[in-house]
Amino acid sequence: MRTSQSGRDRVLDRIRAATATIARDGADGRSAYVDLPREYINRGNLSHAAKVALLIERLREYNAEVSECTPSTLTDAIHHKLAASNRRRFVAPPGLPSAWMVPGFDWKIDDELSYEQIEGVDGVVTGSFCAVADSGTIALHHSPIEGRRVLTLLPDWHLCIVYTSQVVETLPEYFARVEKLPTLVTWISGPSATADIEMTRIKGVHGPRHLNVILVQD
Amino acid sequence: MRASLFITCYNDTLFPETGRAVVSLLERLGVTLDFHSQQTCCGQMHANTGFRAEAFSQAKRLVHLYADAENVVIPSSSCVAMIRDQFPGLFEDLGSETLRREFSALLPRIHELSEFLVDKLGVEDVGAYFPHRVTYHASCHGLRAIHLGDRPFRLLSKVRGLDLAPLPNLDRCCGFGGTFSVKNAEVSSAMLSVKLQDVFSTKAEYCTALDNSCLMHLGGAMHRQYAGMKTIHMALILASTESTPMEAFQ
Amino acid sequence: MSKIAEDPVLDPTIALPFPAAALPALRDPQLRKNVAHAIDVIQEKRGKLVVEKSDWQALRVSAAAIRTHALENLGSYLEQFEARCTAAGGHVHWASDAGEARQLILEILRKEGADEVIKIKTMTSAEIQLNPFLEAAGLSVYETDLAEIILQLGHQEPSHIVVPALHINRSQVREIFAQSMNRPDLPDDPQALTAAAREYLRRKFLQVPAAISGANFLIAETGGVVIVESEGNGRMCLTLPRTLITLAGIEKVLPCFNDLEVMLQVLARSATGERMNPYTSLWSGVTPGDGPQNFHVVLLDNGRSSILEKAKERQTLRCIRCGACMNACPVYRQTGGHAYGSVYPGPIGAILTPQLMQMRHAQSLPYASSLCGACYDVCPVKINIPEILIDLRAQVVDQERRSLGKFFDPLYLGLRIAALLFSRARLFHLAQKFGRIAAGLFTKRDGWIHSMPSVGGKWTQTRDLRGLPNQTFREWWQTREADRRRGR
Repeated sequence: MRTSQSGRDRVLDRIRAATATIARDGADGRSAYVDLPREYINRGNLSHAAKVALLIERLREYNAEVSECTPSTLTDAIHHKLAASNRRRFVAPPGLPSAWMVPGFDWKIDDELSYEQIEGVDGVVTGSFCAVADSGTIALHHSPIEGRRVLTLLPDWHLCIVYTSQVVETLPEYFARVEKLPTLVTWISGPSATADIEMTRIKGVHGPRHLNVILVQD
Repeated sequence: MRASLFITCYNDTLFPETGRAVVSLLERLGVTLDFHSQQTCCGQMHANTGFRAEAFSQAKRLVHLYADAENVVIPSSSCVAMIRDQFPGLFEDLGSETLRREFSALLPRIHELSEFLVDKLGVEDVGAYFPHRVTYHASCHGLRAIHLGDRPFRLLSKVRGLDLAPLPNLDRCCGFGGTFSVKNAEVSSAMLSVKLQDVFSTKAEYCTALDNSCLMHLGGAMHRQYAGMKTIHMALILASTESTPMEAFQ
Repeated sequence: MSKIAEDPVLDPTIALPFPAAALPALRDPQLRKNVAHAIDVIQEKRGKLVVEKSDWQALRVSAAAIRTHALENLGSYLEQFEARCTAAGGHVHWASDAGEARQLILEILRKEGADEVIKIKTMTSAEIQLNPFLEAAGLSVYETDLAEIILQLGHQEPSHIVVPALHINRSQVREIFAQSMNRPDLPDDPQALTAAAREYLRRKFLQVPAAISGANFLIAETGGVVIVESEGNGRMCLTLPRTLITLAGIEKVLPCFNDLEVMLQVLARSATGERMNPYTSLWSGVTPGDGPQNFHVVLLDNGRSSILEKAKERQTLRCIRCGACMNACPVYRQTGGHAYGSVYPGPIGAILTPQLMQMRHAQSLPYASSLCGACYDVCPVKINIPEILIDLRAQVVDQERRSLGKFFDPLYLGLRIAALLFSRARLFHLAQKFGRIAAGLFTKRDGWIHSMPSVGGKWTQTRDLRGLPNQTFREWWQTREADRRRGR
């Protein structure tokens, strides 16, 4: 029986034989990597205010509900959003600031909750790593304030808190911000959608059907 | 200005009136034309069907033939595309260093008809008169391979009496594709019928283009269907004047 | 129900040649309408975004360069991926061909005691015919993409790599769901149909212990896998089960995490006409407490290394499976995907499929193109598809011209004779004269040919051909020159 190791050898041998004739300068062809052409836009030129306005516009294009506040009015804004949702039970990532778990609602802090327990909540509140204005994208790196992936997947309603200092204009600027290479990332650009039936865009298949964002002007 | 006319194998045999119109037009604009009788074909049909060695022979022949030409004018975008896009690969694989040098020297002197008029002669108004409603079909080679851009429109816009009707879905292929039209005849016909819907919607009397290959396909169907429209190569429009209308070339 | 439901065969070893395979589609107005509609929607959205993106061409150049560089150093990047993925707790397996890949996947599932598996859409798994294999081994396989569910429940084949059910309209979907989900009450409104699918799958996501995914990209630097999707079923499959198996073609690897800044910008715009698709996920190996704790990657060769070897054709492997080429293709627009007899249809399918088969099958596919070049214009990684199509045609001809059967094929014969005639002007002139006589036999009183035998008959099926003029251009020129010399 062919072992996995021999499968590996066979494939790698074929690959090496196939690429053997490519001219290389230096022992490691990978030094060519730094010379690859990168003439694309690597940073935007919008003002901070315009950048934030663009993010809001893009989020709303995808039917995300966006509101703004200041750090001192954040808890009020959270309260307002939760109340407007007509939902009661929320799950919070373990690192969510306790001030954000506003009173008047049932909070479960995620501590190895089961899927059934998470299925049973009405919504989730998290922080975020970064937001890209150009595409209305929110990047979650699943740190304690963002929570493990299932938290922003099973509940039908997600409120994401984004500070305007976390907002960049272009996707390359997001990558420039990443210091430690992440092992888990979810990039969200609106609620789940499909266009598989006659190209009619239907919002909400799996994943939260309601995405809410509070932008905190810091 | 001197130029050598490469008429193309299919124009020579099937559309000599296009050649006559090109001659009349260019001579009217003061060009001294010659015609190398040894010319046959650029090799495109063979190259595109997979007969590489045969295509190479024809390509080599063409390069030798026009080694001393000041300019080569070709009333066919697809043949110009063949020369620019495929000759290099053929000569790289099958040709000699000498041949490659000869080709490099020849390449800048190859011109499609509208390129020759607009870029080399620097004219857009060629003094033409063609009092008809016309729609222009952009052949894929002209559009994407040799990037004719707006040259055809600049030339047509100066033709007196001509009513230019824009063609919807201009960049969509008509379905000719050379031997594709017979190897995949049914698909070719489906693409043709979709294209004709757009062409007929212009209510033009004539559909023109810079390639008789597409026009043969479009016009052949128009004729079969007793459609009230005909195809005509742009050379005939540009050559037409009050005193020499297009009938003079036919 | 669309006639296409009748047995399209997406196995290149037994599929009909393209001209024949295309016929049912050409005669199906509903299919052609469905396909054209879907294409037009994506094309319009894509078009707007490309105009808006002032650095679009620069992005294409970079995307092509990154992919080319990765392919040229494929061995070392795959080894780096393997090392990082393994260090992060994943297991990496290597499969030479489809059979090995299927076997590896089955073994992993058996070891996990999984008799059910949920899947994220992956064309690679269709390429290796995974589902029937697993089902024959007694496992239940559940597709979770809306389009894939439609196809699975409707017993149909995909016809596009991004929107696989684009050939099916809403009332056809309603019929499929009503029957298989036992929901006769379902209306044909896409909202209701989508909600039915959501309900149908929810339990599966929460309970099925194993999932299979493909990969949009593998990141060598981090051992990461990237999945790009819209519905959220992908996130479900790669987060909830205990075991996750990712099947990825060896060509999917990118050197660095940062290369995603280029690839993600071009992929979403090309595939669905969006600046960014709703969900993109990246994970490396296993993260304790978050997601599958048992993670396997099966790297698949299955003919890719043979394409890698060819300097001209290597660019085929740059493909990021965006589908833009088939959306732009005027041939695909009329035939849809099933005509290509492969899970990879359209322009990319026409070059990838025969090459994966090492030119032993699907030889009609390189000819399934009018060489219009629209695909090359839109390809985000600048694959010169027309150039490869022509090169593959040369390979097919080199194979075929040696066979006696093809010697007498009218087209081959005609082309060989034509080559001879073009080699000598005198012969060409003679041929023109004879051609005029021969054509005259078919020319009607109106001066046109309405019907021709053999290959010519393929032309005259739908088009007339103007009769050969009684003077070629060169004859006219020579007469004119002679007249001038005589001073007339």
